[in-house]
Amino acid sequence: MLAQVLFSGLALGSIYGLVALGFAVVFKATEVFNFAQGMFVVCGAYLAITGISLLNLPFPLAMLSMVLAAALLGVLIHMFLIQPVAGQPMLVVIMLTIALSIVLRAAIEIIFGSQGRTLNTPLPSGVFKIGELRISQLHLTAALVSWGCMAAFGAFFRFTSVGLLMRATADSHEAAVVSGVNVNMMNRLAWAIGVVLAAVGGLFLGQLQIASTELETIGLLALPAVVIGGMQSIPGAIVGGLLVGVIEQLAASYISPKSSDIVIYALLLLILMVRPWGLFGQRELGRV
Amino acid sequence: MTKHSSVSLKPAQPVSWQRWVWVALAVVLLCYLPIVLTDRAIFGVRLSNMQLLNIGMSQVNLMLIAMLGALSLNYLTGCAGLISIGHAAFYATGAMTAAITGTQWGWPFPLVLAAAGLAGALVGTLAGLPSLRVRGLYFVLSTLAVHYVVVYVFLEYQFKFFDVVGVPYNAASIGPIALNTPIRWYFFLLPLVALVYWGLSNTLKSREGRVMMAMRDHELATTSVGVDVRILRLKAFAFSSSIAAMAGALYAYFMSNATSEAFGINFAIQFIAMIIIGGMGSLGGALVGAALWLLLPSIISGFATQAGDATGIVRLLLVEHKAQLVQMIFGVLIIVLLIFAPGGIAGIGHKLRHRWSAGKDAS
Amino acid sequence: MTNMLEIKGLSVGYARKGLALDDVSLSVPKGGIVALLGANGAGKTTLIRAVTGLLDLHHGQVTHGQVALDGHAILGLPSHRLVRMGMGQVPEGRLIFKQLSVEDNLKVGAAIVPRGQVRERLEAVYTLFPRLLERRTQSAGWLSGGEQQMLALGRALVGNPRLLLVDELSLGLAPLIVRAIYQQLRVVGDTLGTSMLIVEQNAKLALEFASSAYILNSGRMVLSGSAAEVAASDAIKASYLGTKREQPEGDPGPDAQASQHAQESV
Repeated sequence: MLAQVLFSGLALGSIYGLVALGFAVVFKATEVFNFAQGMFVVCGAYLAITGISLLNLPFPLAMLSMVLAAALLGVLIHMFLIQPVAGQPMLVVIMLTIALSIVLRAAIEIIFGSQGRTLNTPLPSGVFKIGELRISQLHLTAALVSWGCMAAFGAFFRFTSVGLLMRATADSHEAAVVSGVNVNMMNRLAWAIGVVLAAVGGLFLGQLQIASTELETIGLLALPAVVIGGMQSIPGAIVGGLLVGVIEQLAASYISPKSSDIVIYALLLLILMVRPWGLFGQRELGRV
Repeated sequence: MTKHSSVSLKPAQPVSWQRWVWVALAVVLLCYLPIVLTDRAIFGVRLSNMQLLNIGMSQVNLMLIAMLGALSLNYLTGCAGLISIGHAAFYATGAMTAAITGTQWGWPFPLVLAAAGLAGALVGTLAGLPSLRVRGLYFVLSTLAVHYVVVYVFLEYQFKFFDVVGVPYNAASIGPIALNTPIRWYFFLLPLVALVYWGLSNTLKSREGRVMMAMRDHELATTSVGVDVRILRLKAFAFSSSIAAMAGALYAYFMSNATSEAFGINFAIQFIAMIIIGGMGSLGGALVGAALWLLLPSIISGFATQAGDATGIVRLLLVEHKAQLVQMIFGVLIIVLLIFAPGGIAGIGHKLRHRWSAGKDAS
Repeated sequence: MTNMLEIKGLSVGYARKGLALDDVSLSVPKGGIVALLGANGAGKTTLIRAVTGLLDLHHGQVTHGQVALDGHAILGLPSHRLVRMGMGQVPEGRLIFKQLSVEDNLKVGAAIVPRGQVRERLEAVYTLFPRLLERRTQSAGWLSGGEQQMLALGRALVGNPRLLLVDELSLGLAPLIVRAIYQQLRVVGDTLGTSMLIVEQNAKLALEFASSAYILNSGRMVLSGSAAEVAASDAIKASYLGTKREQPEGDPGPDAQASQHAQESV
């Protein structure tokens, strides 16, 4: 039923929006198109498993450690991988993030094995009905938390002084340097945020499906989401995520389950040909 | 700017007899290699698996096919400056064309290859069309999208005409000679790789080739030379894709089977890894990169069998998760190279050669 | 009394362009306003970059020499440290945050100011440049050239710097506006005692405003002295086409002699 499909689409889309937001933050700040964002989603799922199932931490503590570990990962990656190649041509940076995803995938499979694992959390997983609509509580929680995170980030970005400094750095790197902003610190913060948002997405996606490295392909849907929405636009990333979620569910229900990916990528191709700067992006980005 | 090693733009050296000796030696070695690998012995002296780096003829053949992929991608990305992560799509195109013309229509092998090449050129031109509209990052994304679209088409084809097991392929044969042993495949593939290398190398030395390489580095400058850069790009894409498609057809025939999973995004990434390790812009580097990529897993396997009864970490890494270990080593290798030597192995070789000749001049 | 800025024997080279500065020395006394003059490509911007820690960004390297801010050696320190140490930077090209509002631009500069004083500092800048107050919520990209220059200056001044470095203030601006801005800078100098190093192509204007000046020519310091001395010198006439326009027409003599002098007076 259409409403059902739309609901799932919007719920999943909220998660994609969150991951896409993380992606957009990193891109706006360091101009790195991070192909490892999909793997960061997987990392989130496995960090959650580590906290909950392996270390048997109480849920709130497990969540906190997941967030902290993700933030740390982001900072380390920027310090040791991204900063050294600052200013190198695009292929170098892209390949670096791809190589990073390869290493992360291998490491996770070595540590946790290549089969998927179930992620058990105390999050509500029942279903309740509104009329004909079956609302999955997990979907709802995921959507609400995602929106909460996105709103929190938005508030941080717009209203705090650190957020201002981040916006300034994204606006003009050199101007920020000249104004006394510690640009490296800002970039590290951006990466920390990017990984944390992806990790939260992984927490939910890992529960909705199963925690495995296959989640990477889902996480990678953030890429077309960001492009469709508009690469340098924060609201664009979110809208892009929602769109991708809805389209994915629609395609899966009305065409075939396997077709959802291709529909999205075909749409991506279309946008690139017709309106490359995305729905919310600005034309000037055509300098690419 | 990364230090790309250019393709043989050294001052022309007099073709001395010494060079010919080296070439002859190389040819002899290459011809003797399959015998060594098949008999597992040199001049009658038996060699252990480890001494042969655990390499067999099938790995060497796969490596040769991969070299075609690496060469074509290097031509596109390293030389023409068009970054593409959709290379697997052209392999898939070739495989599918081979299935249609070979398995379904029963064409002879050489014709199948030609058809694959043609299909590859066509799809390549289409895939290159976005380059007329967007550049840089957006173009990379378009290649990603093209990849997914093409692989999906293959998937649909596979399930429509065949089944989940995969698309089967007939035995390959050139005229009366059937390619039914690894050695025969070897002696078919080796000259093919050499031919492609030579062809690409010559193309790069031609006027068009030089403009293309200039286009890679300084796009604005080339527009003033009066060459339509956009057409050049499409040509490069078509050329590169047709080679890749032929490689795809070869791959399919060699494996006698192909599924859509085989052409996933990881497959495409492998080729990028090869050219980065080898050194972008260097055709020779592409060969080295492909060799390393395909041979390293065998070596690790060799170590694994040696490890045998080892315990703990060693066991975990080498035995249970061999594949992951290989992946990790490659990933780390790429990262290290990108940070410290973006020119890849070719770049390192270049520097060493410079130092060596600088040392010779000084003395 | 130590100078606010002391540059000794500075030599700077660029990766592919060779030596840009050769054994250059300069000092800015506390509370002083020093003009750095010279033709295009003389090395003025390079000097500023070396002092402000921006050389790396432009692939340059210091090969020799020392730079001290109020006695502290500062070569090699990262830019943001220098700003915190009291060095306000107004680089060539203004470099404002085009997508942020005017007030946000200033607030970025205020990041180094203690919380409680931010409002006060912003007010001070608005008093100095009332135009900015009028436009405070507007996006900085929409400002006129002169207003953008005021904004760049304002952003640097918000932090109440001890030393203000201004590179090519007058570029692309009408003389009237430039003069007005310089007047405001004089106010700052008089009231707060801020030391300033002004790099300018418009020598005449700079010399009206500064107390002492240096002339840079092809990476070498060719003249230094009080503003009056420098204004009257031949070297200044040799280095500038701008001042030549004020020569009596059809009089090639003094110019030919002046360029000889310039080469001799190293």
